[in-house]
Amino acid sequence: MFNEINKSIDAAISSGAQYADARILISKSRDISSKDGELEDFSNSENMGLGIRALVGSSWGFYATYDLSDESLKEAGKKAYLIAKASSKVPGKDFPLADVPIVKDEYVTPHEQNPFKVSTTDQIDLIVSSTHEMKKIGSSRAFGRLNFWDTEKWFASSQGHEIYQNIIESGGGISSLSIGDGETQIRSYPQSFGEYRTGGWEVIQSFKFLDHVERISEESKRLLKSPQCPEGTRDLILEGSQLALQIHESVGHAIELDRILGWEAAYAGTSHLELSKLNEHKYGSPLMNIVADATLPGALATFKYDDEGTPAQRVDIVKEGIWTGVLTGRDSAAIAGVSPGGMVRADGYGRLPMVRMTNIGLLPGDSSLDEIISSTDDGVYMETNRSWSIDDLRLNFQFGCEVGWLVKNGKITDMVKNPTYTGITPNFWGSMDMLAGEDEWVFWGTPNCGKGQPSQIGHTGHPASPARFKNVRIGVRG
Amino acid sequence: MKIWDNLIDDIGKLIPAGVECEIKMINSTESLTRFANSHIHQNVEEELTDIFLTFHADGKTTNLNLNITSMGSVEDIIKKALSEIGNNPKDSTWPGLTSKENSFNGYKDISPDDPDTRALKVKEFIEQGQTYNGAGYCSSNVSNVFVWNTNGLNSSDTATSAFLDGIFRSETSAGSSHIGNQILSDIDAQKVGQEAFEITKESQNPEDIDPGVYEVILGPDAVSTILVFLSVYGFNAKSKVDGTSPIEINVEQFDEKINLEDDPHKKGALNFKIDASGAPKKKIEIITNGIPKNYFHTRRTANELNQSNTFHEMFGWGDSFGGLGTNLYLKPGDISKEEMISNVKKGIYINEFWYCRVLDPITQVVTGLNRNGSYLIENGKVTKPVGRLRFTQSFMSSLGQGNVLGVGSDSRFADSEFGEGILNVPMLHLKEFNFTGGVSG
Repeated sequence: MFNEINKSIDAAISSGAQYADARILISKSRDISSKDGELEDFSNSENMGLGIRALVGSSWGFYATYDLSDESLKEAGKKAYLIAKASSKVPGKDFPLADVPIVKDEYVTPHEQNPFKVSTTDQIDLIVSSTHEMKKIGSSRAFGRLNFWDTEKWFASSQGHEIYQNIIESGGGISSLSIGDGETQIRSYPQSFGEYRTGGWEVIQSFKFLDHVERISEESKRLLKSPQCPEGTRDLILEGSQLALQIHESVGHAIELDRILGWEAAYAGTSHLELSKLNEHKYGSPLMNIVADATLPGALATFKYDDEGTPAQRVDIVKEGIWTGVLTGRDSAAIAGVSPGGMVRADGYGRLPMVRMTNIGLLPGDSSLDEIISSTDDGVYMETNRSWSIDDLRLNFQFGCEVGWLVKNGKITDMVKNPTYTGITPNFWGSMDMLAGEDEWVFWGTPNCGKGQPSQIGHTGHPASPARFKNVRIGVRG
Repeated sequence: MKIWDNLIDDIGKLIPAGVECEIKMINSTESLTRFANSHIHQNVEEELTDIFLTFHADGKTTNLNLNITSMGSVEDIIKKALSEIGNNPKDSTWPGLTSKENSFNGYKDISPDDPDTRALKVKEFIEQGQTYNGAGYCSSNVSNVFVWNTNGLNSSDTATSAFLDGIFRSETSAGSSHIGNQILSDIDAQKVGQEAFEITKESQNPEDIDPGVYEVILGPDAVSTILVFLSVYGFNAKSKVDGTSPIEINVEQFDEKINLEDDPHKKGALNFKIDASGAPKKKIEIITNGIPKNYFHTRRTANELNQSNTFHEMFGWGDSFGGLGTNLYLKPGDISKEEMISNVKKGIYINEFWYCRVLDPITQVVTGLNRNGSYLIENGKVTKPVGRLRFTQSFMSSLGQGNVLGVGSDSRFADSEFGEGILNVPMLHLKEFNFTGGVSG
């Protein structure tokens, strides 16, 4: 396959590109969804193609094609060059590229059972029986989904990289929806929109969906009769998957160097962070230690090399509350004068690689959820995300959760519905005063992170354990 | 198109008797030139040919999605699909295939635009911004779709589109504008750039104002966001089937000034004239004088709700999504922007919404923020730019009876959180809109 890729790269370089790299991908996916004990959708997908990018001056030119004939591969290289060259009509400063090791290597996601080799009957039975049970118990609607990806990727560059990777990802989830008088309430497991990791069928088996159908069905029904989450300022305790999304939105996107440099300004936005304040800016409380780590076994954004051939690595992002790191590519790292962190990925062969979160996780503390609750006099414990919104500087956020629990004098008392909280990023993280430990640290995965134009969907990981935040505004309603 | 003709010829010969089969193909060239910090930094083009096969036999269904390269031999694909279908449970809502009589031939052989033309449009836009920092994109697309089935249906269509979307930023402000057209050369980049420039200039040094309930004037992109949320979570018949839609047909749910139609045949419409079942789309009323008239149906949702199909199946989206109108026009009124502003005693002009998310689909309470140009209006005049505000507001109520005070006289294609080119809308003047947070949270 590398011979094929190099035909494109050679064509780009001989046309005049200063650098070129390309990927051929064979991407398989399987989507299974069930509703109310019926199979709603069963789809297998497979596509194959090449994406090549060429650097000319201050712009990347990128061309993707499904046609892998010799003639087409060469033409793709030339087109990538011509597209980049057209950008010179509106030029900027030339893009430098930071140096990375030039490697030839292979990597396969460690897994026990490739999900594409497991009986589809077993997969369908699991998700259909889960929704059947919830419907039987009394859920108004019972939803379930499984998703699998098997991506083979050959990457080569004009500098000599030749890397083959086979990334296998699995995930899914179940939800119980209860419909009341002019309202709906939902409970999901393992988290809203499902939980996703690298690995095979064993990932799904570890979720044990059927052990949770009764609880989430009952909770969604009970929510309809529960009081509204009170409005006011209280202590807020977040369950791990909600904290994972909080990390994603208010830290993960804010530290993307392409955003900080303004490259995403018109769409995804920029960042409240200024590079001149790296290693000085107070992001949160001393309990806040965030790392970007693409080497965590089993986490969703784990690989060996990114889509620029840069090795996966662990990078400190926030140390004891101080901002220390950014997410980089070879171009943005060179501009900012930092090391490339192996954080560039693309959504399939047809999209330009760009800065993407890897596993952006909050390192565990030394407490536990039980200790956090028992030391809280007046607070709300919120579980499982229901809505999320944050401004384009990643400062002003508002999240809604599926369920809230009042905490009074160290004990969970009543269930409350429609819990929301809002805040400003550094104030919020600065108020974190208790953090659960390694026993409750989970590698939460987000399979639906949108970024870029044309739009790309990214898979990101967010290890987190429950935490407490002081004096947070909760209970915002329309 | 040769690829398509060969494909259906091969498959048609090999489908066993008694097996229903539907094949869809999307063949497109999507090109996008992206700029930031006032220069082009990313410039991309993708040529794709994706094939979507659905097989139904013995009451069971399976779907295979491939691109032409991964497909291999047609014989193997059919064997694979038919072996997998046996593992599936019965498909109790199989709606059947579209009949041969619905065949539609709209394919046109159109070449994509070159990157130089897009770069020149970007240059024209950026020049309007003078010293401001420009960012955005110019895109152009040629898309062909094809649908064939074992009933003998063979449909095709071609759609072209081009968009220019950009912002300028000053030290303290940003302003955006957006335009869409079927043809790239017809995009007026200077006009879009000038609009974004003016907003940026007028939005400098914004002041924070207290959250609360305000009268608002919404620009086309903000209006488009409200309507696309109502379309996806309300008028999409799948949400009705799932019990989460707030929309009730023939019930007075919106202000009488709201008239929304889906018209794929309108001059300048940007999307396909057939849906993913292969049937021609028709002009239909969605909201007439504030009264919902139709959901967006697929074959399955029409069957499940026992209503007539409206042919809104989406290419490349599965059955679990449902249907969506893609040629939506909100009927303009007779009020100019200046008149609208002069009618406001105390309110806010919002150019664009950002990062809107639904808190509960059945109430359509949504939270989000403003960006790229917001002003305070007092006693009929714009008095100052305002900073970041968070709203938490039911989109149903925002267009509810008595809350729409005016509808703008000019309309244009507007961007939305679910894609561009599907909504053509004017500005709206609303009586009340609930802002629940300011810059301090």
